[in-house]
Amino acid sequence: MSKYLQILKISFQQEFTYRLNFIMWRVRNVIQILVFFFLWSSVFAVQGSNYFGYNKEKIIAYAFLLILVRAIVMSSRSVDVAGIISNGELSNLLIKPVNFFKYWITRDVSSKTLNIIFSFFEIVILFLILRPNMFIQTNPLQILLFIASLLIAAFIFFCIAMLTSFVPFWIPEISWGAQFLVIVIFVEFLSGAFFPLDVFPKLIYEFLRFTPFPYLIFVPIKTYLGVENLSTTFGSLSIGLVWSLILWILMKRVWQKGLKIYEAVGR
Amino acid sequence: MKRSADKQSKFLYFFKVYKRYLRVYLKMSKNSFVVWFNRGGALFFFLTGKVVRYTFYFAFLFFLVKNTNGFAGFSGNQILFFVATYLLIDTLAQFLFRSVYNFRPLVVSGDLDLVLLKPINTLFRSLLGGTDLIDLITIPPIVFVVCYIGSLLNPSAINVFYYVLLVLNGLLVSASFHVAVLALGIITLEIDHTVMIYRDLVSMGRLPVDIYKEPLKSILTFLVPVGVMVTIPAKAIMGLVSPVGIASSLIFGIALLILSIKFWHFALKKYTSASS
Repeated sequence: MSKYLQILKISFQQEFTYRLNFIMWRVRNVIQILVFFFLWSSVFAVQGSNYFGYNKEKIIAYAFLLILVRAIVMSSRSVDVAGIISNGELSNLLIKPVNFFKYWITRDVSSKTLNIIFSFFEIVILFLILRPNMFIQTNPLQILLFIASLLIAAFIFFCIAMLTSFVPFWIPEISWGAQFLVIVIFVEFLSGAFFPLDVFPKLIYEFLRFTPFPYLIFVPIKTYLGVENLSTTFGSLSIGLVWSLILWILMKRVWQKGLKIYEAVGR
Repeated sequence: MKRSADKQSKFLYFFKVYKRYLRVYLKMSKNSFVVWFNRGGALFFFLTGKVVRYTFYFAFLFFLVKNTNGFAGFSGNQILFFVATYLLIDTLAQFLFRSVYNFRPLVVSGDLDLVLLKPINTLFRSLLGGTDLIDLITIPPIVFVVCYIGSLLNPSAINVFYYVLLVLNGLLVSASFHVAVLALGIITLEIDHTVMIYRDLVSMGRLPVDIYKEPLKSILTFLVPVGVMVTIPAKAIMGLVSPVGIASSLIFGIALLILSIKFWHFALKKYTSASS
């Protein structure tokens, strides 16, 4: 346990190596939220308007929650795995007396911690500047379910990041390609990080519910907002749990297969 | 008689230089295309990614405006046209200026020395040295979408002319931004997100800057002129920009390019050739 604590400490210090770089990364996040906030504010400009099951207070809460939920779910160092597989640096890690997955989960925790701290400051600053009327959840059960959904989401994201990072085992020259397609495109658009998925027609929305993506951002935020009834929320969390399990098994299998053909190219 | 001969020789000299740079540009583009083809599956991943991204974004806005009948005082088709214009300018800029994304490693490693030694303008090489094949493939469908949605707005011939002129001006503004990013890359080695921040700021122009509140709206119009780059060209086709507004935008674009080139020369003097 203590060695993972040390990894956590070192990773946390590493996050500060390029401080300005990190701040710029956070600035990028804030810009994305601002676009979301102003777009939906103008959609809901007319008093009392209600679209896609949201009122203005709830959609504004969605925008603010995006900052926190993205920090918790999508802050990750495990996306670096693709790079170390393709340049052969993975060998250095394999000979160390650490569990590969625990090592990267620990590094993810350090990244998430730092991003969560920053996200709190950003939320406060944006709140003070924009002074919006916003929905705040007070039901403890709903908040508990929200925390549970966040844990599931973070785990699903870890598995997806790992699975896409394993592609270079087979195609070392595209260390970033698979991540671009899955994480930057599919996760970004189909997770609800860009817009609430309710915007889509019912048929597309129902189809998306059976993919792992909505359980990353959309379901946690909807759980917090309490937009759906409890049975639907429990149903969503159950599907999320099933996806966690499927992706975990898949990740382990792909890792084992990948290791068998790993040639440490570049070492 | 002598003055006329001088003029002629100057013209011939510029023509020769222009031809040489065109040849170099075509050679650099060919090399960059060859790199893409050699990367096998990467071309598939990135091309699919871009197409899917554009499709998702259009689908989202299509369903949004379908349910809300437009917003911020614009109709659904007008909103879609803003997005199409943003995609057009952004994709053209990425197609032309892709090498900016690979500039920082050159500075960090000191390999920029090798570029500086070559008998060709360093800014030209750094700005236009890596034409993007993927963007070249996506440009024709985007142009088609722009033309299709644009036609639904029933613009007059003069408004179409203004639009084309202002899109070119938008590219000029974008070039200025990219030059500034290159210059910043020399001055500070710590930031490798600069070009991505530029992309995020420009992405705020996907929608008309009118949706933003003050002072953000003014910042996006005058300080980070996303408005000049995207909103004003799109508004021009809708007949919402006066001739004075168009002339001001063009002057602004040219002034920004001159300023950014001055900034580049200033930054180049700070280059220390570290690590080389």
